[in-house]
Amino acid sequence: MLIQYILILAMALAFVTTWRRAMQNVIRVSEAIGWSLIWIAASVVILQPEVATRLANLFGVGRGVDLVVYASVAGLFLLVFKLFILHESLERKLTDLVRRDALRDVKPPHE
Amino acid sequence: MKVIAVIPAYHEAGRIEETVRSVLPFVDGAVVVDDGSGDSTALNAAAGGATVVRHRVNRGQGAALRTGTEGALRMGADVIVHIDADGQHDPMSIPNLIAPLSTGECDVVFGSRFLGKEAIGMPTSRRVLLSAARTFNAFAVGVPRRVTDPQSGYRAMTAPAARAIDFRHDRMAHCSEILRLVTRSGLRWREVPVCVHYSSESLRKGQKPWDAARIAWQLLLGAFTN
Repeated sequence: MLIQYILILAMALAFVTTWRRAMQNVIRVSEAIGWSLIWIAASVVILQPEVATRLANLFGVGRGVDLVVYASVAGLFLLVFKLFILHESLERKLTDLVRRDALRDVKPPHE
Repeated sequence: MKVIAVIPAYHEAGRIEETVRSVLPFVDGAVVVDDGSGDSTALNAAAGGATVVRHRVNRGQGAALRTGTEGALRMGADVIVHIDADGQHDPMSIPNLIAPLSTGECDVVFGSRFLGKEAIGMPTSRRVLLSAARTFNAFAVGVPRRVTDPQSGYRAMTAPAARAIDFRHDRMAHCSEILRLVTRSGLRWREVPVCVHYSSESLRKGQKPWDAARIAWQLLLGAFTN
């Protein structure tokens, strides 16, 4: 089906980009392996949708596509939470800078 | 013993001078942290006799308190008193707060609105919310149930205790965070009754019931942030 061709092409592109970034030292090799496993697993599910259904049955979910949706929601939740934590970390760094600036002229009493 | 009051202030131009003047008779100095206000909070605080430090951008009450605490330590404070800028906290309670510190009985003293002195003008909704917050603090944050006031910003601590309490929450969650840090450390702490006056103005600007959810969220994020 056309959708399979498009998705497989996207996965191949993602795979190539991942390893190009690893070669450019933008990401670590361990990260590239992790992402590659995700692209390969997605490719397997795209080419053999019944694999997802078998996996879904293992978890007690009726259809493979439902399992993919549930997993995606969980994955996106984790990603958003990670972004929140990153944002909080940046906020704290900003506060440290603002504090250092605010206290610049506060000197001990004997000075 | 040098006692310095730390007063975080944001858009408090109308009240800060009076607050500083009412606090100064009970302490040796006051540090007002103007938390990026767009009004004359800093000028009015200085006119009242406080040392003013200024955040260039608004960072929240917790951040301002920490800045003020570090400023007070640099100024040679032996005891630091945290007090709100909006006049809710009655400065007459400061001697009660610092007494256990000056005798060496405690390292940190928390003011409580629920130890006999009736808070003036506290709405029932706030009372119910604080009761729920106390339970939340016990189960989710790990603050002992014997702490009667889960959100009191009126507290005093010795300089070594102030250096030891590494609170990092910039906004409203710092109260629960400080309680957790103190009660789980080796610091000696106690609650004493304090008098708090609520006015329509302070209630308008103060915490709202839905802030409870925000505090819980901040605490959750803080647990995962370095």
